[in-house]
Amino acid sequence: MSLQSAKRRRTLSTRNRPLWMLGPGLVLMALVIIIPLGLALYMSLLDLDQYTLRSWLQAPFIGLQNYVEAVTASPLLRSIWISVSYAVVVSLVTLPVGVAAALATQNRFKGRALVRSVFLIPYILPAFVVGTVWRTMMQQGGVIDSALGSAGVHTGLWLNGPQSYWTLIIVQAWSSWPFFYLLVLAGLQSVDSEVHEAAALDGAGWWIKLRYVIFPYLRGPIALALIISLLHNINSFTLPFVMFGVPAPQDVQVLSVLTYVTSFQSFRFGLSAAMAVASLIIVAIPLFVYLRAVRLDTGEEGKRA
Amino acid sequence: MTQSVLAPPAIAAATPRVGSPARVSVRRNDDVTRLLPRPLLVVIIVVLLAVVLIPVLYIFFASVNSDTGVASGQFFPTEFHLDNYLLIWNTVDLGTGLVNSVIVCGAVAVVCAFVAVGSAYVLVRFVFRGRATYLRALLGLQSIPGTLMLLPVFVLFASVGTALGVPIIGTRGALFVTYLTFALPFSTWVMVTYLRGLPRELEEAARIDGASSWRILTRIVVPLSWPGIVVSAIFAFLLGWNDVLFASVLTNSDTRTAAVALQVFGATQEGGAIPLYGQMMAASLVCALPVVVLYLVFQRYLVGGLTAGGVK
Repeated sequence: MSLQSAKRRRTLSTRNRPLWMLGPGLVLMALVIIIPLGLALYMSLLDLDQYTLRSWLQAPFIGLQNYVEAVTASPLLRSIWISVSYAVVVSLVTLPVGVAAALATQNRFKGRALVRSVFLIPYILPAFVVGTVWRTMMQQGGVIDSALGSAGVHTGLWLNGPQSYWTLIIVQAWSSWPFFYLLVLAGLQSVDSEVHEAAALDGAGWWIKLRYVIFPYLRGPIALALIISLLHNINSFTLPFVMFGVPAPQDVQVLSVLTYVTSFQSFRFGLSAAMAVASLIIVAIPLFVYLRAVRLDTGEEGKRA
Repeated sequence: MTQSVLAPPAIAAATPRVGSPARVSVRRNDDVTRLLPRPLLVVIIVVLLAVVLIPVLYIFFASVNSDTGVASGQFFPTEFHLDNYLLIWNTVDLGTGLVNSVIVCGAVAVVCAFVAVGSAYVLVRFVFRGRATYLRALLGLQSIPGTLMLLPVFVLFASVGTALGVPIIGTRGALFVTYLTFALPFSTWVMVTYLRGLPRELEEAARIDGASSWRILTRIVVPLSWPGIVVSAIFAFLLGWNDVLFASVLTNSDTRTAAVALQVFGATQEGGAIPLYGQMMAASLVCALPVVVLYLVFQRYLVGGLTAGGVK
């Protein structure tokens, strides 16, 4: 560490820095991310609807009233609960699946490359395609119903009513488990072959070996994957939007969809901005953990070690 | 803006790696490194393959089936016709959508990759005040909810358009700028991790010979980092290709992307007679195809890009 950082310090030039090369990126991010972020905060304090939007700078300033309304008189809290619980459930469901898939494809076998490619398909399919396809499959009397029906299982509506919440979880789990698979697979590569040999010499059974030898190696990657997966799922918009449309059934009205509907269907822009700010606060917690966990400069060395 | 990035903010990219040490060590002595008993291993693989492939096959089967067949829950088609693949160009207006998607996302990919290389080069090779903050921001900005940005971006574009007297909302340019910006943090991070793995000796030699930073970047760094550039370009492309949120608000019927064309088509089929399921599935397949092909072609690099950062 000390040797490396000393070397880095010496070779990183402090003269003739072409800082202007950061310019284009900085300008874009300032114009399209930072300024709109400030704008969002400001608009959340305005009484902004379709009549005042055109001259939004003159819209009445109403302080925190949007926030008060969002909390007391809108489905915000319910949507927050749906988003957060959905993100947690999906992450917890997909974690073991991804781990199992990684363990199963760790060793060579005939056709492994093909299996690995196939495993990635759900993850790489665009969410709007996944949503369209699963909506078709899960419609009333569709292929899922008829398959379950021939097995003697009769379920209610998938796309409406309380069950829709689980529909969303099932579909999101289907499309996102390969993420854990990928990260765990990468984590498994950091296990030295000596470790395997030592375990074999000790005559450890496969479960004992997994539990006490392999899993400790995976703790880091899994923790990181969990945080990223939570962030990803809390923000998820496309899948619920495409699967259930707007206005969404209330059981799948996740925070992002509620914010969207409040803006572009009810035209309560100020209220919607307040909701969006709330979503930022919710994301901030896992994001903070994530940024603390990632080592910015030593990521490369840490990985090789 | 994770919700429309295909990748969650996976943190790093394909690191330039000579050979593949992992593969060598796995090869020898399979029995020792095996983690699961064979029967369990087979069960897991077979079950997961089925779980993945059944819906994927269904897309194709339903796209050649009749709409009533799909509606009545058939998995295997009772009829087989490819008409749907011809009809979608009129009913879904998929042609316009695909053209718009390709133009916007292609431009985003190219511009984003090169802006990212420049930024990453400075971030990796030079020390300056705010460098750590910048790196942290690259990660943090990827997690900003897209729904938070949508309204202010819309208002900003509308206001600037009114002030300048030119329409911005509804143009491809608006979409281009938006996607470019939201793709930048991840693409830059991809390039940062890539450039860290490059040896710096060549650059130092060039600098001693008096080459400027610009010359070093264009003559040495860029030619050496094509794999990383391709990865960040593809991720930028896919961010735009997969987005529905921004495109649904910032485009009109002429500039609509393929994603929105499909979403709108699906939404208008609800209610009324039997929806045109076959065409919906055919259009889905067509929209997914470029993504899948890109992945299969560049799989080796992309998988590295998705995973490397997760390993601390």
